[in-house]
Amino acid sequence: MKKLLEISLGVVTSVGGFLEVGSMATAAQAGALFGFQLIWAVVLGTICIIFLVEMAGRFAAVSHHTIADGIRERFGFNAFIWPLLAVLLVNFLVLSAEIGGVAIAAELATGISFQWWALPVAFLAWLLLWKGTFGLIEKGVSMLGLVTLCFVVAAVMLRPEWKEVAVGAVPSLPHHDTAKYWFMTVSILGASISPYLFMFYSSGAIEDEWDKSYLGTNRAIAGLGMSFGGTISVGVLIVAALVLGAHGVNEVDDYNQLPLMLIPIFGFWGFVLFVASLAIACFGAALEVALQQAYLLAQGFGWNWGEDLKPRDDPGFSLVYTLTLFLAAVPIALGLDPLKLTIFSMALTAASLPLTVVPFLFLLNDERYVGQHRNGVFSNAAVIFVIALGFVLAVVTIPLQIFGGT
Amino acid sequence: MQLLRDILDKQVVDREQVKIGKVDSIVAELGPGKPPRVTAVELGSIALARRLGSAPARWTAKLAARLSGRRQARPHRIAWNKVHDIGVDIEFDIDVRRTRIFAWQDWLREHVVGRIPGA
Repeated sequence: MKKLLEISLGVVTSVGGFLEVGSMATAAQAGALFGFQLIWAVVLGTICIIFLVEMAGRFAAVSHHTIADGIRERFGFNAFIWPLLAVLLVNFLVLSAEIGGVAIAAELATGISFQWWALPVAFLAWLLLWKGTFGLIEKGVSMLGLVTLCFVVAAVMLRPEWKEVAVGAVPSLPHHDTAKYWFMTVSILGASISPYLFMFYSSGAIEDEWDKSYLGTNRAIAGLGMSFGGTISVGVLIVAALVLGAHGVNEVDDYNQLPLMLIPIFGFWGFVLFVASLAIACFGAALEVALQQAYLLAQGFGWNWGEDLKPRDDPGFSLVYTLTLFLAAVPIALGLDPLKLTIFSMALTAASLPLTVVPFLFLLNDERYVGQHRNGVFSNAAVIFVIALGFVLAVVTIPLQIFGGT
Repeated sequence: MQLLRDILDKQVVDREQVKIGKVDSIVAELGPGKPPRVTAVELGSIALARRLGSAPARWTAKLAARLSGRRQARPHRIAWNKVHDIGVDIEFDIDVRRTRIFAWQDWLREHVVGRIPGA
């Protein structure tokens, strides 16, 4: 019974962690421009992240190391510094985008320009991290995140042709806007397979003191939680395809177009639901990314860390998330377009994947860490696939940024 | 046990299980006609920077000296005979509060973090 409760909490948590400004924006853009055709990218990204999250949790439960600890210890500092720098940079951009997402939601709700909201949002997030505990952040914010299920409800209420949805789940070649199609694919994959997600998950497993008895729980949480998250992204895509696409909005290049999505279905409440979903999903993600930044540095350099400690007991750790949050708010406060930043940082995330995922191949097959709980054939195949995908993405991202970017 | 594989880059904790850093380098003693003997591990940014190359090492040492005086211009050393246990972490039989390892964190606590309400 206790395990069941923990599984459901974990699922809720991962739904909250999965859906953020990146998956919402990329799914909406893809749906508006290509209809159901890019559903396969969401499905593929979700399958990849299920495998990676399961491995990150298993690694933490068996070896009592986080992924960052593992990379540093197994490969040495001189190798660790590359994923460290890449993830710090990507996290920073993603955090900025998430703050931008909340700020946009606040602008939609109040009419006051998003620039003014960036610093207050960062302050609120900082206050929660400063005073709150890991459980509060993990569970509280994620529970609120369930409001994003309204996209799934909306998608079902729109009665899409389910046959066409199924066809969209199979990869196909674009009929128009070829460069943009592949750029959207890369961005969707980057939004689904975020390094902060699995690295945060492994830190959470250590914070919650997981051991081998959690392996089943871990598998259930990874599978169900990420699938739910993926389902919501598909819901966003379907709604965008049927509402925005049908109204002739093919290019989502302005956040103000997005709330239109839910209005035909829920009327005024559709607007409220959209704003609430955007605000909560992005705020939750901002908390997680800011914490992940602090986890990464603390674990990489061996400082004391833990969200449940008082800031004065881990000054290095708490100062990192403080500085990160406020610095990440600066570009938004200066008026950088959150939507452009989001799409850009998702593509960059995809390009950075090889650096963080290659270590999985070694760590999860090393008996000194995971003993008999090594990767099976399937998991290894999945890692190799993500690595290959990551390399391809890294090579194509830069030209696509130039030719297909918005 | 292999030094580089099993010791280097491992988490170090003191006898109260406080995380104090990673094994950033290993110090060995070479005597004539004797096999090398590990005498200490080193912790801290200067030891780390030395692994990246001689230029980063110089800059980091200069920076550390400027920020916190000559005493901090060398890495922190913990004698190898203080090793208590090697498991997930390496436990040394020391009390971090009686070393200079946390000087920067103490400084942060006193001058920055501690001044923010609610810390």
